[in-house]
Amino acid sequence: MTKDTAAGATPDDAFAADLLRGHTDTIVLGVLRRHDSYGFEIYKLIRDATGGAYEIKEATLYASYRRLLRDGLAEAYWGDESQGGRRKYYRITDAGRAAFTQNVAAWVATRTIIDSLLGSTPAAKKGS
Amino acid sequence: MTDHRSSGGDLHRLLDEAFAGIEVTPEIQDLKEEIRGNLLARMGELEASGLSQADAARRAIAELGDVHELIDVDGTADAASTAAAPAARVGSPAPAARAESATAAALRNRVRPKPGFVVRTVVLSIIGGAALVLLVLGLTPLLALGTGALIGLAVVFGLALGAVTADALSQETTTNHRMPAGRAVGYGAATGLLLAGLAFTPVVVLHLDLAWLVLAGAAVIGAIGALSYLGATQTNRHKPWVVQQHREAANIGTRFEDDPASGARFGIYTAVIWTIAFVAIPIIGFTAGWIWAPLALIGGFVAMMLVLARMLFGAKSENARKTE
Repeated sequence: MTKDTAAGATPDDAFAADLLRGHTDTIVLGVLRRHDSYGFEIYKLIRDATGGAYEIKEATLYASYRRLLRDGLAEAYWGDESQGGRRKYYRITDAGRAAFTQNVAAWVATRTIIDSLLGSTPAAKKGS
Repeated sequence: MTDHRSSGGDLHRLLDEAFAGIEVTPEIQDLKEEIRGNLLARMGELEASGLSQADAARRAIAELGDVHELIDVDGTADAASTAAAPAARVGSPAPAARAESATAAALRNRVRPKPGFVVRTVVLSIIGGAALVLLVLGLTPLLALGTGALIGLAVVFGLALGAVTADALSQETTTNHRMPAGRAVGYGAATGLLLAGLAFTPVVVLHLDLAWLVLAGAAVIGAIGALSYLGATQTNRHKPWVVQQHREAANIGTRFEDDPASGARFGIYTAVIWTIAFVAIPIIGFTAGWIWAPLALIGGFVAMMLVLARMLFGAKSENARKTE
């Protein structure tokens, strides 16, 4: 995080946390797009990707898994761990891949709009 | 990624306490086991960083928060789903609005085919059809084509229909998301290979040394193998509203489970219907002629299906109609 990041907002701001939470499903799909994964691993990957600055609550993640399963965007299967608790793995489906692509496109479009509305486009900042 | 696993220790007791007072349904049991697996992984991480097992268990449970929050989130009332996650917004209306009919849902989610795709499909299908007709005619004395031309036609036939297949699968439709490009091309290539191999076979039989059948066989078997692999690794590509409709459709037809007596009645009715049908066969056969005898079987089948419909859906006709 350098002073370059928008308007001095720290990632643990309630506003930033809200923005991130609104994209939980897409973020989870983004993790699953790389490889099948289970709850704690997904949690950890997201935590590490944000540099530990921001943690998605586990309750939010469990709710997200359930929505993804219900909408057919992900499939669940139990791992075959012999010792300790079994892990429930999630696999992205073709529908999930398509939804992910759509959501990323929507995000990029929205980001551009908001940047131009708020005057926070990278080019404008460099110019000032 | 470290993969240290903890044996759990106190965790199992703490987890039981967290779930105390919650009605144990199969879904809750499933969720509890999933949480257990995740907490054990979290404990492994905490223990690796130097915490004692008991502390790690307490910390992991504390981080989980209130279990009741996890259970109440199934509705649309939870913050995450109302916070406009685009994937969640699709097809997750309030429970009252879920009774939407399939036709209404299909209309609302309708996706028109792209004009370019329609034109491509029509043109390629005509090319493929023409190649097949020429191939068949070319094999007969009507239009005795050379072996090279026949092989070319078989290849064109396979290529055209393979391209149609790949193109169709990579289109978004009303019910399906588009298939990822690699997989769509795989399906198209396998289908094309299969059809070309099949079309090549009569050319070999009529014009070439039979040893060439090995090539046709290899193409067909390879294509079937590829299609089997693609089929076995296929995941859902239905849109959420279709998944929702399937789930509602699965809710009907459980009358025999809910009401075993109606199942038993259906069994007796079926036995009676078929007994009458089999008695009727020789009667019809000797009187009206044997050609009419199968009518008894058809009549019995129709009667059985009517009884089945009546017994499965009779008292729940509204449910049945809703999902049609």
